[in-house]
This record gives sequence, C-alpha cells and structure tokens, in this order.
Amino acid sequence: MDETPPKPASPAEGSGSYGPFAHLTAPNVLVYRSVMRAFLVAKERFAVHLRPEDVQAALPVGIRPVELDGVVKALDSLVGWGNLRADPDTGRVTAVEDFYRKRFIYQLTREGEAAEQALSAYDEALGRRGALQAVALHDIVTQLRALLVLAAEDEPDPAKTHLALDGLVSRFAALADNARAFMGSLQRTIDLHDVGEEVFLAYKDQLIQYLERFIQDLITLGARIARLITELEDGGRIQPLLRAAAAREAADATPQEAAYAEQAAAERWAERWTGLAAWFLSRDGRESQSRLLRGRALGAIPQLLAVVRALNERRAGRSDRSADFRTLARWFAEAPDDGARHQLWRVAFGLYPARHLSVDAETLAARSARPEAASTPWADAEPLRISPQLRRTGSYERRGKPRKVEDRQEARRLLAETAAKQAAETAAARARLAATGSTRLSGLGELDPVSFRLFLRLLGDALATWRPGTTHTTAASSDGSMEIRLSAVPDGSTAEIRTPHGTFRGPDHAIEIVDLTAGAEWSDGR
Amino acid sequence: MTTPLAEVLDGQHAAELRKAARALLKHPLLLARGPSADEFRLVRRHASELRAWFDRNTGWALQVDSGTARLGKIPARLGDATHPAREATRSAAPFTRRRYVLLCLALACLERGEAQIALGRLADQVVLEAADSHLVAAGIEFTLDRRDERLDLAAVVRLLLSLGVLRRVAGDEDAYVSGAGDALYDVERRVLGGLLATRRGPSTVRAAEWEERLAELTAETALDSDELRFRALRRSLTRRLLDDPVLYYDELDDAELAYLTRQRGFLTARITELTGLVAEVRAEGIAMVDPDDDLTDVRMPESGTRGHVTLLLAEHLAAAAGPVGTAELMRRVAELAAEHGGFWSKSAREPGAEGELVEQAVVRLAALGLVARTPEGVVPRPALARYAVGEAVVLVSRTEGAGGVPAQRKASPR
Repeated sequence: MDETPPKPASPAEGSGSYGPFAHLTAPNVLVYRSVMRAFLVAKERFAVHLRPEDVQAALPVGIRPVELDGVVKALDSLVGWGNLRADPDTGRVTAVEDFYRKRFIYQLTREGEAAEQALSAYDEALGRRGALQAVALHDIVTQLRALLVLAAEDEPDPAKTHLALDGLVSRFAALADNARAFMGSLQRTIDLHDVGEEVFLAYKDQLIQYLERFIQDLITLGARIARLITELEDGGRIQPLLRAAAAREAADATPQEAAYAEQAAAERWAERWTGLAAWFLSRDGRESQSRLLRGRALGAIPQLLAVVRALNERRAGRSDRSADFRTLARWFAEAPDDGARHQLWRVAFGLYPARHLSVDAETLAARSARPEAASTPWADAEPLRISPQLRRTGSYERRGKPRKVEDRQEARRLLAETAAKQAAETAAARARLAATGSTRLSGLGELDPVSFRLFLRLLGDALATWRPGTTHTTAASSDGSMEIRLSAVPDGSTAEIRTPHGTFRGPDHAIEIVDLTAGAEWSDGR
Repeated sequence: MTTPLAEVLDGQHAAELRKAARALLKHPLLLARGPSADEFRLVRRHASELRAWFDRNTGWALQVDSGTARLGKIPARLGDATHPAREATRSAAPFTRRRYVLLCLALACLERGEAQIALGRLADQVVLEAADSHLVAAGIEFTLDRRDERLDLAAVVRLLLSLGVLRRVAGDEDAYVSGAGDALYDVERRVLGGLLATRRGPSTVRAAEWEERLAELTAETALDSDELRFRALRRSLTRRLLDDPVLYYDELDDAELAYLTRQRGFLTARITELTGLVAEVRAEGIAMVDPDDDLTDVRMPESGTRGHVTLLLAEHLAAAAGPVGTAELMRRVAELAAEHGGFWSKSAREPGAEGELVEQAVVRLAALGLVARTPEGVVPRPALARYAVGEAVVLVSRTEGAGGVPAQRKASPR
C-alpha cells in the first residue's frame, strides 16, 4: 500500500508562480473547473475534505468521468498544480479492492482558493450585462437629503458628514460603473456581436421592460437629485461639509503627511462632488451624464425593435436569402446563354409584365355582330382592322412641323409687374377709404381715381342688398377684402364726392368702411 | 330614368377592381410612393378581393403592406426568354451576364447589410463576393477598377432604384462611374424581402441541370388528389392566359388540353371579368386580347418607325407559307423603305439599317408569340394571320358582304 501523497509541483516556490492557473490551459479544462467548483460548493457547506466519490457525484453529468479513476487522475493533477492538497484517507473501507487502492481525501489549498476567487471575479466581470440600478438612484436621494439636514446645522457632525458623503460616493460610483457596463452591453446586444439569436430574443423583453422602468426612475429621481444638488450648492452649503469630511480623513494621516493631507483630501472631495453634480446637472454647455444615458436608453428601444424585425425577416425567409442571391449569382454565371439567363430572371424574380395583343373597338363591334366559330383558324378569321393611315405612315396622326414654342418670359414678367403695381395701388386705396372711419358720404370730400373706383364698387355691392324700405345694410365687397356699412340719414340732404374726372352726387348716407384684410393681418400677427 | 345608386356603386367598384388588377399584372411590384402611388392605393383598397382571386385562379400570392404591393408571379411557361431584366434608362437594353451576376451579388450584400449603404461600399462588398470560387470557376471576374465595370454596377443600382429596393439619399451614380464621387442610399428592406418570387429558396435547390433548376424553383407540392390536380391545371392555364399573348394548343399536354376544352368558357370569362381582356378563340389557340391596348409591354400595332416596320413585316410574313430567311426580310425592308421611307426616322433610312430593323421586328413578333425563330428562318405562327392585309384576294372575296371594308384596308397605292 503506497501511502505517499502526490507531491505538489512546487508549492514552496510560492508567490512568484501561478501554478494554480495552469489547469486553465490543460486539455480537460472543463473537468478541472467543475472539480474546483465542487470544492467551493462544499466549502460553502463547511465541508473541508472531499473523497473522490463525493467529487464524482458533484460533477455535472456531461463531463463526469465514467470511472472513478478519471476523477482521481483529475484530482491528482490539481494537487500537482497546487490547487488541492491530498491527505491519506484513514476512513474505514468495506471492500477489499478499496483497501488496496491508494486512498486520499482532498481539500482546497490557499492558492487554489485564491485562484478560484480570481476566476469567478473574471467570469462575473465578463458575464456582467451591466444593470442600471434604479435602487442606487433612491439611495442617492436619501444621502443627499441627509446632507441637506447636516448642512442646516451650525456645527455639522464630522463623523456623520463623512459617512453620508462616503455612502453617497460609493453608491454613485456603483451607479456610474454599471451605467458604463450597461451602455456597452446594450450596444453589443443591438449589434448582435457575440450574441446568439436565441439569447437576444430571450433577453429582449426583459431588457425593454427594464429600460422603461429605469427611464421612468431616471426622469423622476434624476430631476429630484438635480434639485437637491442645486440646493446644497446654493450659498455654498456643501463646501463646509466637504471640508469637514476632508479634515476627518486627514486626521489619520502620519505626521509627515499632515501638512498637505487635508489639502489633498479637500481637493479629492471637491472633485468627487463636481463629478456627481456633472452627472445630474447640465452645465457649461455640457449635457449631464444622466441626460445622455436617458437618451441612449430611449434610443435603444427602437434599435432593439429594428433588430427584432431584422431577425424576423431572416426567419420569415424559407432559406437564408443572402445565400439565395449568391446561388442565383452562380446560376447566372453558369447559364449556357443569354436566353437561359433571361428565363432565370423571369422565373426567379417574377417581375415581368403581362403581355397581350390588342384589339380595336371597331373589330370588336364587328365580331360581336358576326361572331367567329371557335374552330375557325386564325388564317380564315377576319383580320384585325388597322388604320390605313398607320399602315402607310407608321403613325396615327398626320405629321406636321411642331409649332415653335414661344418664349413668354418677358410678357410674363410684365404681367407680374403690372399685377403687383395694381395690388399695391388697391391696397393703398383700401387703406385710404378705411381710414375715413365712420362718416357721411358728404364727409368723404375728394377721392383719387383708384380709391373712387374701389368706393363705387363697394357702394354698388352695398346697394345691391338695398331693398325698398331698407334703412341700414352691411355688405362685404365681392373679393372679401372690405366691408361697408350703409345707413340712410333722415334729413334727405345730398352728398357730393369730387374726383379729378368729375363730381359724384347722390342722397347722403352714413357710411363706415372696414378693411377686412388689415384686421386679418392684425389677428394673424397676434 | 335614373340608375339606382347601388348599380352605380357596383359599376365603380368593378372598374376600380379592374384597374387595380391590371396595374398588378403590368407591374407585379407597386410602390406607395412615386408614379405608381394611385395604382397602389387602388390595389390596397381591393387587396382582399384581389388576393382571393389570384390565389384561387393562379396560386400567386399577393402581399400588400403600407409601402408596397407585390404579386408573386410565377410563370406557367418557364422557357420564355423574352422578358429580360432591362436597364432602367431609355435604351432599356437587356441585362448581360455580368449585370445579372452583379445584381444578385449586390442583393446578397444588401440582404446582409445595414439600413443604409454607399455605392462605394457596396462595390467593395460585391468585389469580395465575386471572389467566390464558383464564380471564379465560371470565369467571372470583378475588380470594378475599370469604367465599364463601374457602369455595369451603376446599371444594376439604377434597376434597384427603379424597383424601389434602394432609395437615393445623396450623390449620384454618374459621379461614381467617373470616379469623382459616391452615392448614398436607404435600403428598403420590405421591398428587398419580397423580391424573390420563387416557391423555394434557390440555395435549397440541389439540381445541377438547368431545366431542373428552374422547375424546382417553381415546384408545387405533390398533387395527390383529383381536386388538387384540377386546381393545378386551372392555375397553370390561367397563368398562361393572363401572362402570355397567345396560348397555342400545341404547347399543352393532353391533360391540360382536355381541361381547357371543357373549362374554356369559365376560365376566359373569369379573366374577362377581372381584367377586361377579351378571349379570341381560334382553332389553334386562345389569345386574350386587350381592347384598351394597355396591358402589355410590347404593342402591336404601334406607331413610330419600328412599330411600322414590324407591322409591315408582319403582313409580309403572314402572307408567306413557310420559313422566311433573314436575307429575304432585309430585302423586303429595303423595298418598304423606298415606299414608306419618307415617314421613317433618319437613321432607319440609312443604307445598312435593314439588319437592325429586321432584328428588332422579329424580336417583337417572337415576344408576342406571332413568329418562331428556327435555323431555317423566321416561321410565322397562326396568330400572325390577325395582321394579314386586305390585298389577299381571298380576303376580298370573303368580305364582300361587309361593304367598303376591304377597300379601306387596301391602304398603300400601288
């Protein structure tokens, strides 16, 4: 019976060597890692020693060696690298062969445990999708409130202040770290880099829900945090707190460092605070981190949906369409002739138009009058009636020289100018008439020709509504630009309006002219 | 007397449905924006009715979403080479081997690509794709360094633009061809996704023979009941009547012919109801002729020099008993030029233009199923007799009762 335990490779050489990591590059790395995991799990249950049978039972089915010898070999290799320690097993046995086999019990070495810790940290960091912590936001609010309370005191308690600030900073650091990781993993997901379709689809719904919740928190809590930060900064209330925390930190410094320790600590705290403020407040023309994050998170949702659509499109195809097109490219290249290629194009893409012979109305009418039997050969049937003109010349219409296109640019310009001038004159006249306000016809006095023409038209529009017995009327001009209100006056006097071309006379009326366009402009301008 | 409102509405509905169906038959891919917007709206309005009709009678799937309407046409006759992809410019030149290959490679790249692409980037990706060993073995080589290669790619991109797969955002193709610039496009994934009309993805087809490949692309599921077999016959015949100018009985197999003989009336009536095409039934076959002269890409008769030459040669061929050699046709064109040349375009009157004129006329007539090309020459097919002229003595005697018609048709003064 051989009682010599397998020798660790070189445990004494100690710290410089990374033997406990050697199994990562060994061929059976999965077995080794599972074995180590079994030991870790056992340790959590405070079991120190494991027998090979225990290890074998703990291994996952896929990689469990069938024979116990396989496990023993793996265990011994790990002992060789220094991850495990083997001690002779002194327990009772019940079978003869067990007695003859060299038996050991195994336990983790310090090196092995450290290596496992490092590896799990590695796995965790890699596997971390980055989660946005809504809880962290709540904590930050709580800590800021506490700081506000402290700031209100005359002599803030340094210990409490330091604790509150410390808590704030650690929560914030965690939040910022996670945000960074989150952005990264989001982008990986959206780009479908290293992410399988199934993984994505499983992850998608959770992610969208999560994003929605976080965005909500970020909007409501972010605003509250920003307000608390501004409140603390108002009147420099935060500075004494930062100084107090710095002083408390510096109290532990060695005598040599004491001179500048407080200064350095104060600077550090000031910087942390600025970082925190910059995260939640947009200032100096730079957008706050939280706003950026919100934008990214919001933008991620449509991007995710686009990925979903792309995946669905990929699935909807009965085959990979990209491969289909590549296959077609090859077929086109291999086709025997152009005709074959045209056939392939028609069959594969189905984009060809229907093609039919035509028939004219005259032929149709003749046919319905004298139907041909279905058994008539084409040669014996009435042929299509073709216009003699078309037969002779190849066109339906008589050809003539097309008329030269006249250049009407100049005339058009003149017309436009005249129109603009007239519009301006009318507008001016309208303004003049409207400026008279409420008056009598006899009060209009003298009018220039344009105003007079406009006035006459307006008067005509008003009088058109005038019936026998009417004493008052309101009418809009036919172009809708003006309104005239006309009322008869009882005194029966006569009004005179003088124009350069003569004098206009008629029974006097009270008159009010309103420029509707001016009103419209005015109300639009409001 | 006034027409009841319900009748007017019915009439409107039928007219709209007909317009929509014709639009789809002419352009199986309609876009909601651009020149086809009105037709798209009609199709969308009547989508469910059209979908049901096409599914029942042709087995073509109609897909309509907010941006596109796509009728997944599968031809009943696979061996038709008269519908090439054409350049999206005035010249409408048929695609060449290189362009077809480039087109498919570009589509493969777009399929895997992002929502936007620049022409230069697309070109790089196509060059990478073209390095595929099968393509190299087939003698295809792309570097896109040369101007004519870039022209080919530009032609491909213009076709994709006209189909609506790409939408130009900035720049233009000419700048890329001349090497002075680049162009940026949005990729319309929905249009791209519906571009292939085949029953099976080509990448799943293993056949090596050309005909087998085409057949597998369009193969239906196994037909294991009479009902399914009849449905397949109905669909196949309706497809041909909807797509092709003339359906000759001698191209059908026995089962198809038997079914058509029994169901001819139903089949053509159903098509007439939907599209307004009228059946011209003759001893040799059926032509669904179009009173609106609109549901076609090749017109006959057509105005213009080329249309004129085609018409006159059709008349000449209709009078011929057997195959006519190309030389004979060229002689005929020269004669015609002396007679009608005054109405022709200048280039058509130049000596030496006959060859090209004959070629384009024969291509047209063949596309319309009016002639067949054989090694011996151009053979008239029965439906060509539609274009026979009244000069034939037989015709004059046959149509005596019809009054002045023959005289009217004797157009050319001899």
